[in-house]
Amino acid sequence: MAKKFNKNLGVLIIIFLILSFIYNHNLFRKLYNIFVMNFESRLTIKHGYCFRESVGFLRMLKKKYKFNFNPLIVNYEDAVPNSGWSVYDNYNKTDKNHKILLNYPKNLSLHFKPLNKIFYSGGTVKHSNGISNIIFNLKDKHIRIDSKIKIYRKTFNEQEIIIYEENFHKLVINKQIIPIEFKTKKINSIFKPTFIEISNLSNNQIEKINSIIVNLNHEFNLKDFTIIEKFNNCYYVK
Amino acid sequence: MIEIIEILIQVLFILFIISFPIALLETGKKSKIPTFSLIDKFSINLIFLINILLFASILNINSKYILFSYVILIISLYFFKFRKFNFKSIKINYYFLVPLSFIILISIDIAHELYFAWDTQVHWFLKALNFFQNQKFENLNDLPVSDYPHLGAYIWSFFWKFPSNSFEYLGRITYAFIYTLSIFSITECLRVNLHEKIIFAILLVFLTYNYELFSGLQDVLVFSVILIITKFAYYFFEKKFISNRLQLILILLGALNILCWVKNEGIFYAFFLFFCIFITNNLTLKNKITLVTGSLIIISLRIFIFNFYDTTLDTSFYEFGKTLNIEFSLILQKIKIITFYLIIYFSQNPIYLLTMPVLIYITFKYPLKNITKFVIYFLILNFSFIYIIYLFMAVEVEVKIRHNMLRLIFQTSGFYFLAIIILINNYAHLFKIKLLSKYKIKKY
Repeated sequence: MAKKFNKNLGVLIIIFLILSFIYNHNLFRKLYNIFVMNFESRLTIKHGYCFRESVGFLRMLKKKYKFNFNPLIVNYEDAVPNSGWSVYDNYNKTDKNHKILLNYPKNLSLHFKPLNKIFYSGGTVKHSNGISNIIFNLKDKHIRIDSKIKIYRKTFNEQEIIIYEENFHKLVINKQIIPIEFKTKKINSIFKPTFIEISNLSNNQIEKINSIIVNLNHEFNLKDFTIIEKFNNCYYVK
Repeated sequence: MIEIIEILIQVLFILFIISFPIALLETGKKSKIPTFSLIDKFSINLIFLINILLFASILNINSKYILFSYVILIISLYFFKFRKFNFKSIKINYYFLVPLSFIILISIDIAHELYFAWDTQVHWFLKALNFFQNQKFENLNDLPVSDYPHLGAYIWSFFWKFPSNSFEYLGRITYAFIYTLSIFSITECLRVNLHEKIIFAILLVFLTYNYELFSGLQDVLVFSVILIITKFAYYFFEKKFISNRLQLILILLGALNILCWVKNEGIFYAFFLFFCIFITNNLTLKNKITLVTGSLIIISLRIFIFNFYDTTLDTSFYEFGKTLNIEFSLILQKIKIITFYLIIYFSQNPIYLLTMPVLIYITFKYPLKNITKFVIYFLILNFSFIYIIYLFMAVEVEVKIRHNMLRLIFQTSGFYFLAIIILINNYAHLFKIKLLSKYKIKKY
């Protein structure tokens, strides 16, 4: 009798655990979704149509234009890897003339906030080919800077990777666009934060700077291409 | 509806293909194979099949021919043994319905979630696609991180192609199959009744399962293969398997070979497991020679294939040039960071939270058994490995740790379930704990 009870109890516990697993992972709902939504829709929901990996946009293009090549895919979204996998075909060769620009920002820039005596950018950037201009957001109307501007990144052992370093002697007006045409790809990094150091700046002067915006040039400028397909800020260009 | 049917067909196909050929070989009463359980037989078949797939991938044999050959092998074995083999003698093992239902449930989760992890998008999927589109092994050199092994991706592509040749996630259901099989396999070591074993297995699934594991990453395969190896390694410490040791060694070598080809760190785990088995067991000379020779062949094969196909080691991930300039203060700083994150990530892994206190308890409370030594030696080697790779792999240790330490410690976590097995099998009776059963506890 006791043996049978133990056996039944064991079966009941197993059934309870299986049901808990189903409930915890919302599997009935997921099963229903598989019934009502096809594979492509589910994939697009997970990887985005024209945001994040923008897999929906890529697969739409592949279907519509029947690619017999692998286009160059450039995703401006920092937090995701290259989404080329979703349309890649081993039988095709890569054609870099056909480009798909995903999450293309109007302006490519880095915003630096004061951090002790330097300025720090939490954001990162990729697909830029250099610095276009710099804007100082000041508390006052203007500030005199006679110094050297250094834009750099730091490695683990505190080694500096200098991106830009130039003398800077200017009366800077609040939100004035100061052109700096400087070609570099060192600015592209999604892993390491970037710093700006303005040497010999007094504490008083630093306090007057709210933030610094460094505007960058696009590696792929839309003006240089013919737009074949567009959806929000995702482009298929040639 | 079609997708659900395809999922069910996929699960049944995998079940069919790993049900043979061991089931056909076990007809003789004198055969030693029947001493293994049903799940063990599935595991052995799986090891056999995956090794065949490995050689097929390296030799660029079309997977279609592999499937045909495998089916022909099964049919030939059936005809060879057909007088002895009686289908009527096959009994449905209702116990296997539980893991089967978990495989189906996880498959539903995979089919719904679909998304790929970062590394999957960057390279694992491309490797799988390479084989799915019948590309050659050497074509991997044109894909990112060609120095990463390909076996997991090949398994994915094989079951993506067969039987349905439709959705990619059908291939990933194999991972769910291997994962579930390995968990139910390790809980068989517990000397408790069947229901309790199932309950333990389900709890282990609860502790470890999340969709991320099946997002195309290979860590779940490493975890599962280590669990299967652990199960067979456990048999080395069982008296009733002493006469089967040569078979066990061959099975282990097959599994260790798989481990070496799933991820690069698998080579180290394979070596650690081999070393721990070697020093904690009194093996005969013949067994020792088999184990050492087999291990050397496995490692040599990996190196030979690597060189034969001119696979270049992507050194951008390793900064030995910089890290080998040993500076004491820097090393101390790195050790501090590694230890900090190790504690953080351990606390996020429920298996370690559960098994480490148990391991400490059985180590200090009771006289050390060989099997306990086996676990401790592996733990020491595993920890040393974690420290060494993070100390010397990269300058920016914190970035690397945040990127992959959680996954790295997950890979071997299943192994430490042995601590719980040791506790329950040997010492549970000391607490006068009555589980559901009145199972008599045997001592080693």
